[in-house]
Formats: sequence, C-alpha cells, structure tokens
Amino acid sequence: MLDKFSKGVAERILGTVLKYGGDFAELFVEDRYSTNISLKNGKVETAQTGRMFGVGIRGFLGDKAIYAYTNDLSEENMLTVARRVGEALGEVKLGDLSLDLRKKELNNRHIIVFNPKDVQKETKVGYMKRAYEAARNYSPVIAQVVVNYWDYDQNVLIANTEGVYVTDERVRTRLMINAVAMKDGQMESGFYGPGAAMGPEFLERMDLEQAGVRAARIAVRMVDAQPAPAGRMTVVISNEFGGVIFHEAVGHALEASSVARGMSVFAGKLGQQVGAECVSAVDDATIPNAWGSANVDDEGTPTQRNLLIEKGVLKGYMIDKLGSRRMNMPPTGSGRRQDYTYAPTSRMSNTFILPGDYHPEEVIASVDYGLYAKTMGGGSVNPATGEFNFAVNEGYLIENGKVTRPVKGATLIGKGYEIVQKIEMVGNDVARGQGMCGSYSGSIPADVGEPTIKVREILVGGRNQ
Amino acid sequence: MKNKQFDDFKDTVFALAKKNNVEVQISYSQNRNFQVRYQNGDMDQYTDAGKFRMNVLVLKDGKLGASYTETFDDPEKVFLDACENISIVDTEDVEYFYDGSGEYLKLEPYDGAFENLPVRDRIGYVETAHKEARKDERILMDMAVYGDEMNEQRIANTLGLDVSFVDGGGFMYAMAVAKDSSPRSGTEFTLGKRPEDIDGAYVGKKAREESIALIGSQSVKSGKYRIILRNDVFSDMLGMLVSMISAENAQKNLSPLKGKLGEQIGSNIFTVKDLPYHPMSISNAPFDTQGVPTCEKAIIEKGVFKTFLHNLKTAKKDGVKPTGNAAGNGIAPINLYVEPGNKSFEELLSALGDGILIIEVDGMHAGANPISGNFSLGAKGFKVENGKIVRGVEEITVSGNFLEMMKNIEEVGSDLRAFVGFGGCIVPSIIVSEIDIAGTV
Repeated sequence: MLDKFSKGVAERILGTVLKYGGDFAELFVEDRYSTNISLKNGKVETAQTGRMFGVGIRGFLGDKAIYAYTNDLSEENMLTVARRVGEALGEVKLGDLSLDLRKKELNNRHIIVFNPKDVQKETKVGYMKRAYEAARNYSPVIAQVVVNYWDYDQNVLIANTEGVYVTDERVRTRLMINAVAMKDGQMESGFYGPGAAMGPEFLERMDLEQAGVRAARIAVRMVDAQPAPAGRMTVVISNEFGGVIFHEAVGHALEASSVARGMSVFAGKLGQQVGAECVSAVDDATIPNAWGSANVDDEGTPTQRNLLIEKGVLKGYMIDKLGSRRMNMPPTGSGRRQDYTYAPTSRMSNTFILPGDYHPEEVIASVDYGLYAKTMGGGSVNPATGEFNFAVNEGYLIENGKVTRPVKGATLIGKGYEIVQKIEMVGNDVARGQGMCGSYSGSIPADVGEPTIKVREILVGGRNQ
Repeated sequence: MKNKQFDDFKDTVFALAKKNNVEVQISYSQNRNFQVRYQNGDMDQYTDAGKFRMNVLVLKDGKLGASYTETFDDPEKVFLDACENISIVDTEDVEYFYDGSGEYLKLEPYDGAFENLPVRDRIGYVETAHKEARKDERILMDMAVYGDEMNEQRIANTLGLDVSFVDGGGFMYAMAVAKDSSPRSGTEFTLGKRPEDIDGAYVGKKAREESIALIGSQSVKSGKYRIILRNDVFSDMLGMLVSMISAENAQKNLSPLKGKLGEQIGSNIFTVKDLPYHPMSISNAPFDTQGVPTCEKAIIEKGVFKTFLHNLKTAKKDGVKPTGNAAGNGIAPINLYVEPGNKSFEELLSALGDGILIIEVDGMHAGANPISGNFSLGAKGFKVENGKIVRGVEEITVSGNFLEMMKNIEEVGSDLRAFVGFGGCIVPSIIVSEIDIAGTV
C-alpha cells in the first residue's frame, strides 16, 4: 500500500518542511500487518491480526530535531503536519529546495520463503501445539504452559532531503513459550522465545519439541531450587541469551543517544582500554535473517557490522543521523524505532561478544565457588551511571569446579564499565538469543549473544540464609 | 474525533455483522501527544503527534476474533480478518459483549487544559527544570522531559452499547547526574491535570538535590533491614499486586492469592482501592475496555483481601458481577489507590529511626515474579540513623516475597503521589519492618 506515496507526494512533504524551517527533512512511511495468537493450556484463546499504517515526519536544524507522526494520510493533513515541523524548527535555511528523489534498489540479504500473510493460521497453531505438548509432557510438575506466536510483515518507505528514497520489507516470526512448574505450593516459571527475520519457515525448520522442553526444563529445575546465595562472587554466564549482560551493561552506553551529549560513561573514550583484553564485541545488523537484522536502518542508511570493542579497546559507537551531527562522526546504520509513532534513535541490532579460546567446561572448572547463570532473564541499565541489573532465570552453584545444585531468585547488579573489566575468561561457544529491547525509540527486536564467560566478581542478590 | 468517518466505518461493519449473523464491537481510540526532551540544556527530542486506531471484535458462538486497523479503508477486510481468526480459537471459555444497560458514573472529562498552552510555555518548563538542576557545579549532566497527552475512547457494539470518554494531562521528569568516584543520578517525576500542577523548577531542584545527596554512596552489609519504600518505588512494586488480583490469573492458577478471599493477607493498616476517578490521575474512566461501568471498591481492606478484579468472562466464570476492570486482553485497576496514613514523609523517617530509605528499584520486569511473589531487585537509597539521612546507599539488592512484605507494612505515609503504569496509581510511602538486603560481607 506504499504506492500511495509517489515520489511527488514525498517531495512535496519534504519540501514543505524545509520551506518553513530546518536544513534536513525525512519521511518514514510504515504499513505493517501483524498476527498474534495465544495458546493457553493447549487451546487457542486469542487470535488477532491488524494493520498499522502511518507516517513520521522529521526535520533537523543543526542538531535540533522535531518529530511528528500522523495516520490521517490525506495529503492536505500531511502537508499541514510537515509545515508544523518546519515552523517548530524555526529558522529557514534552504527554503524552496527542488528535490529529485531517485529510488535506490537494495540488495536483499534476508530471503523470506513464506510471507506470513500467505501461511494458514491453522499451520501456525500447529507449530504452537507441538511446542506446547512437549513442554506439558516434560514433567508431571508442569502446571501451565502458555505459547504465544507473533509474526509481522513491515513495509517501510524512507525518503529524505539528501536524496534517499528507499523501501524495505521486514518479516519477523517469533514463538514465546512460558512454562510454569508447581510443587509443594511453590511456583516457578521458565521461558524460551526464539525468533528470526524469517517467515513461518523459521518454525518449520526448528525443533519445536526441543524448544518446549527448554522452557519446561527451567521451570522444573527451579521449582526444586534453593534460594540463591547473596553477596559478591565469581559468576559464569552461559552463552546465547547470557549476552544480555553485554547488551545492558555496555551496549546501551555505546549508543549515540547517550554518548553524543556526554551522558555515557564511555563518552570520549574511543581508543582507550575500557575492558579486559579477552573482550571483543560487535553489533551486526547484516547477519542474514537474524532477529535484529535489516537491509537499511529506519533512517534509510544501509546497515553494517560495527566493531565496538576489540581486545578491550573501545573502537566504535552505534550512531544514528542525529547522533552523527552531534558527534561529527558518520552514521553506522543504527537508527531504529519501534514503529512510526517513535522518532528513530541509535539502537543495537544483533550485539554479541566474539568467541575466545576456552571450552565452556574449562571455564566452569576454573571456579572454586560461584554462580553459574545458565539462563538469564531480562535486565535494565542507567546509561548515565552504568548501573545495571539482571535476573537469573536458571542458576546453579559452582563448587570446586563443578556445577552442583540449582538456585533460584538470583539477581546480578553492578556497573557496566566495571564488569567489562572483570571478565576473565571467554569461551569458544558463541551463540545468540532473541529479545525485545526497550529504550527511547520504543521496543525493537534485538539479538544478544556471547560465548560462556567468567566474571571475577559480581554482586549477587538473593535471600540471606 | 473523526465522527463522520468512524460512523461510516461502524455502520458498514455493523451491517456486515447483521448479514453474517454475528455480533460485533468496535473500539475507537484517538490520542494526541506532545513531548519535548532536553539534555544538558539542548533540545534533544521534540514530538507533536496524533493517531487513531479501531479494534474490531467479532463474537460468534461465544468465541472472539480480533482485528485492528489504522485506516478507514476497507472495513470489510477488517471484519473478515476478525471472522477468520474465530476459526482457529478453540478455547472452551465463553466470551460476552456488554449491552451498555448499566449506570455509568458521571465523571468530569479532561478539559484539554494543556492543549491550548503555547509551545514556548511547554518548552519553558523544561528550560526551567534544566536551569534549576544545574545550580550546583558538581552536576555533570542533566535531562528534563515535559509531555502532555489527550486520549479519547469510544466503544460501540451491536448489542446497543455506545459510550465515550476523554482524559489526559501532563507530566514532567528530570534527571541530574552528579560527579563522584562513580556518577550519581537523581530523578523526579510529576504528573498534572492542569498546567499549574507542573512546576519545572521543583522537578529540576529535586533531581539535583537527590543526585548531590547520593555523592559518597556506599553499599551496606548484607542482612535484614527495616526500610522505607518511597512512594515512587512502592508504586513500581505494586505491579506485582496488579497481576495477583486479576481474576483471570487466579482462574489459571497463576496468582498466589487464589482461594484467599476474606483472608488477612496484609498488615491491618494496609487498604488498597480501585477508583474510577481521582483528581490527580490522568487515566480516569467511567467504563472499562469492554464498556462495562467502572466502580469504586476496596481490594484489600485493613489487610483483608476483598475482591479480585474481573472482566465479563472471569465474572461469569466465578458467578459474580463484572467489576469494570477489563483492560485490553488483560485485567487491571483503573486507578490503584493506597489509602494514606497520617505521617508525613519526614515523620516516616523519624518512625524508621535506623534503617534504609529505598528510592529506586530496578529490574521489576525481570527480577520480580508475580506468580510466586518472589522478588530480587537492584536498588539504591539512603542510610537513615536516628530518623536522619546520613549517606547514600548503592550496589544493594532487596529481596523477599511480596505477600510477606504486605504483612510487614508497619506504617503508611500521607505523602500521596500519582504515577502511571498499569492505569493510574496513587500511593504514599510505607515502612516495611523487615526485608533482605544483599550488599557487602
């Protein structure tokens, strides 16, 4: 439905912004069709489809930015909105600019086999039920299993006064399995939520039974667990979703939105040793069909692989267009947003620590006493102070180099710039896991990742014995 | 509201429903919002926007199919999508629509007080907050946000329901970061119904004072402590209670309060209500998202658990009347209100004597489990000795169980503040007699 936006309309909208103010204008059009299905205890409880359709209009004057969005798509209304953006910027810099937008053809890196719109809903429910059955049958203590399915087909058109006129299609599919185990009045839950920038073929190719078992296993192990010990200790964080620690503790503070105004502990530290020598990390939105990937970012800039830290030395930030103006550095294809109701800003895509030399068992064997965080939950961070916190959804004690008993309720807290210096060992088993990352420009799909790592000391919050 | 276009859309969908012998309900929401953010005195974000959405629900043989759209184009496709979704729903649960026959409270709608405020006045709030936040040279950075919004809601269905309401207001947030061995951040948040409720200088000053007071923060020894949960922190933690009082969660065995109606679940000074209207709230409503009238009720009265919150479906299942708490696909209070006590915040500090004042908890979405009530959260605050704040506290976690915590509420303050989250939340600070804190050995 983006054909409603001919080059002519786009040119008139962008031109109107500049006529009333500013030195740069951008148009973002989004038409997204989503499906959400929820399966509780084996039965489909809710099924919803829906369409979002709207435009975001943004203008810059130097490093000042004004954003507006609307879904009244009459040309008259859009031109009024464009005029308001220009007027809010104030100073007219370019005035009547004659624009000649030329469409740029993208080389699509993310091949979609089935568009979710073309796949029967019964087929999608079939995938959900397989994961459900496997989780339900894993153990008699499993009391509840909820499986949610989500897919969308997002078509965007991005045009700006630098001549960008580009369209991109982002298809994503995700399964979210939540299992609850109940025993002696105790309830604990386990979660697994694999996703990809693919159509439903992602689930066709996946071991759905294994996925169900994975969520159930966490719940079952944790319902028998003792409260985690509290205090400072060595922590081994397992690969894949364990990378959420780097995402929160370091990643957010490397986003231009924090760095440009000096609001980050990593501002002004390019080229400096900020972490242990065994730590290298990247943000890479070019990985084919990865959950956080795209051909272009939400500002129309082609995505790229960004080296963030190399052998502990800070090498780069994640920079959007506005951040680029403020930092006087080129954008890195990192401008992202939840949807047209958010102005884009610098965000992560697929962010992970690169593999090291150790076998994961060697990492565990090196610890006399500590916590093994096998499955991490979500976390959050204050980029200005670096203070972070995470929940450990599946934890075990490590005693004399061996994983011994399960422990529950552990939280890891600390400061990002300290943790990255305290990483002592990096495994060779790098893997990525999927999450939704929430920040200034909304909630977006993002991969986190790492190999198994050992952190010398983190404060673990648990119950005092 | 785009009445004409909506009415046309509605009429088309209602006609299709009649032809296909199904019932249909359309919720129309339209909102407008304005937001401006400054970092270190420079404009960083500015948004002035609006949008609308229509949610269409089709009901057939007790089963619901849903579809939404953000364009008035093609009502037939939206209707057919919703019908198609019914075909995969196989729950035995029976769904209902409400016919709008009940009594609705005559609530005062939002008068749009912020709508007519000139943009320079709105920006003025943020500039004032920034200047105030910077009145100490130890402040390294600051951020200030001002926003206002207006939300209109209309729900109509083929059983005769047709109700609408509008609410809105403004808010401000400021953060200041002070220089120390590691940076210290202080924050302040205010919600307002009218422009005169918002005081940029106050918000900036509070953020500055908090960050400065945190200079020199240290951890504390691990152990059990008496604590004050400041009103903003308590408001965050009440998210766990919201999940527990949902009748749907109880029916699905996902609430630890299941089977505890009429039992003493909290301290006898703890009373929690759901209010359809509170003058400090910007999310009042005479009806819930199913169009059912909202009503005032005690959820916990003097520690005794009085009622779960219901939508149409859960009420029918339990054989009770719906409580007007449907919230989209879930259940939530309109305004969760904790009845205040007599002590001011300063008096709470004196009553605490020795303990810790908690001013921030992090990681509620991951570190708190509303199914078990267990939580373990990163936190910061101040050490209190003899009723006086002596220094900042950092790098601690507070952990416990929410149900135990409700029993350990020793004092409820009079310092009511309004927040937004799961609907409105109007709460004071409290003293909890014992909680686990992990810090240093």
